[in-house]
Amino acid sequence: MALTRINIGPVHPSTHGVIHLVVDIDGDTIADVEPHIGFLHRGVEKLTETRMYMQNPPYMEKLDYIAPMSYNEAYVAAVESAMGIEVKERAQYIRVILLELQRIASHLLSVGLLCNDLGQMFTGFMWTFKDRDLVLDLLQEAAGSRMFYVNMRLGGLNRDLPPDFADHANETLNYLEKRVTEYENYIEKSPIFTERMKGVGFMSPEEAKNLGVTGPVLRGSGVDYDVRKNNPYYVYEKLHFSTKVLHEGDNFARYKVRMLEMKESIRLVRTALRMLPDGDALGMPVKLRSPNPVNRIATVNRELPRGEVYMYLVADPQKPYRLSMRSPNFINLAALKHITRGQRIADLFAIMGSLDLVMGCVDR
Amino acid sequence: MLINDLVNISFWTGSPDIVYNLIGIVLFVIIVSIIFSVYGYVIGWLERKLIARAQYRHGPTYVGMWGILQNLADLIKLLAKQDLALENADKFLYTVSVPIILALSVFIILILPYSPSLQATNLGFGLIIAFTIISFLPLLMFTSGFATGNKFADISAQRSVLILISYEVPTLIVVAGIAMLSGSYSFQGIIQAQASNFYFAALMPIGLIIFFITMLAEFERPPFDLREADNELIAGWLTDYSSPYYALSLFIDYARMFLGSVLIAILFFGGWLGPILPPIVWLLLKAFIISLFIIMIRATAFRMRIDRILRLGWLWLVPLSLINLIITYIVFVGLPT
Repeated sequence: MALTRINIGPVHPSTHGVIHLVVDIDGDTIADVEPHIGFLHRGVEKLTETRMYMQNPPYMEKLDYIAPMSYNEAYVAAVESAMGIEVKERAQYIRVILLELQRIASHLLSVGLLCNDLGQMFTGFMWTFKDRDLVLDLLQEAAGSRMFYVNMRLGGLNRDLPPDFADHANETLNYLEKRVTEYENYIEKSPIFTERMKGVGFMSPEEAKNLGVTGPVLRGSGVDYDVRKNNPYYVYEKLHFSTKVLHEGDNFARYKVRMLEMKESIRLVRTALRMLPDGDALGMPVKLRSPNPVNRIATVNRELPRGEVYMYLVADPQKPYRLSMRSPNFINLAALKHITRGQRIADLFAIMGSLDLVMGCVDR
Repeated sequence: MLINDLVNISFWTGSPDIVYNLIGIVLFVIIVSIIFSVYGYVIGWLERKLIARAQYRHGPTYVGMWGILQNLADLIKLLAKQDLALENADKFLYTVSVPIILALSVFIILILPYSPSLQATNLGFGLIIAFTIISFLPLLMFTSGFATGNKFADISAQRSVLILISYEVPTLIVVAGIAMLSGSYSFQGIIQAQASNFYFAALMPIGLIIFFITMLAEFERPPFDLREADNELIAGWLTDYSSPYYALSLFIDYARMFLGSVLIAILFFGGWLGPILPPIVWLLLKAFIISLFIIMIRATAFRMRIDRILRLGWLWLVPLSLINLIITYIVFVGLPT
């Protein structure tokens, strides 16, 4: 039978961000998917070369607008590495707390969007969005704003945690823990959900390694790799936690890894709050002139909510000479072509939802 | 009761004088149109409000009191838009399909009885006529989908046929069971049979469940709304319909909602039967509760996939409906009296 070519996007009700998919379908089955990217390309990597070091974090946050703080932290860590700056211990704890809160917020949105991709009329999305707001409230208390924080400073943060932060955080986390369990009951007990998720979009461990996918997508395929464990940074070593690995390799495993990671992050934040040492957490105030780098090349890898980012910074005095990023979403998007082949057209967006893509990070 | 005496349609239509008959029919059409429009409008507003409430939202609030005029505002906005069709559209089918779907839906609404006095005529084969036309509707969606010349509409049209072949069979088998129980093909006969006995919902619960599911599938309600699956198909067979046609499609939605609810109320819950309140109020009350149930399903359900729908239809609904038919025959009809 002849293939039909349909164009999905760049304007479509349910693409995650601005992406154009050229899909060849045979009846209702996908023969091939060709993602066309670049609609959100802003030349951020080049842009960083024209700015002072601490002028760049606002650009970094706009790359992954669902988990901005994580990206920001990865960049600041690269600069710190180039300048040989040690992060204060209290600041390390606070950064871990904020990063894990950001991970919870990001995964909540991901699960909600997945419900939407499976044809539910926004109910799951609105529920998780409401809970995400509670996490954003916490981040606002800590960082001063809700969406784009720019709170990382060289060697620390822009401000210390407010005195009643731990109480608020524990209250919210207790509530969230209940809610995540509730979501699991509510979503997974739906036979339509499990039917549409299990066995769909299969990726074998070998395929996952060859494609280079990272994050929950990789761990859903049964490969135990998490930068927080394999190449620990900050105080992650001291905060005993486990990585969540599932071996099914399908949509459901990827979704489930996110659910389990949320619970693990809740535990992690609690532990970090308990172990939070006294002291100073403030970093260097932002001035146009920053200290001169001691290392020419700095590399940093970080576990973002969506996968591993690898920052490669070639440092000049005052400005980056070159900043190159291995974007997790870009490489996860490459897997789309491989795992959608032979699936139903209705599952295309479920698979995209399970990959949890953010186009700002893909296009850069 | 006063209303029933004033507009006693069967008095007009039962008269031997043709002028009286015509007046009766015009009166009936006006009354039913008002009922159907008000019901559809209220349900359309409630659908937005209830789903919003299920999602921690408020729904429409600005236009009118509690946003009650929101749908009217949307309708005016739609009608004010430009009507565009693709170059390669089949102009005749494109123009004709959507109005015909609405006309046929309204036709079925007009042959239903609403109270002992509010009915156009006592059609001996009303049940058969209604379900013939209902089976015909997906075919028209198929033609209109192809007529627009849009690829998303094409996929939707193919799905429409798959739904047709998997859901017509169990629907008609259940309807056969109803005809067997009541010994009549007319809606009035079915309601009379329930007046002297239990409601059919109590006599054939399996049949009720199957019929409810198939009605959801026939009328594109979630979780079977994959002809209009907005995630992958934008708006399905309606993708390239704009302005007046899209507005008509909203009417079709409400018409089918009303039709499905009233059909279930008549076939399984005794139609207008009930104490104290006037018959028409009972019928609308029953239909209203069924509609609310359908709305709440929309607020929670995930969408099914087409292959799963075929599987559900042929592996579960067809055998179950046959079992339902056999049980009905053995228990209620075949027993020697």
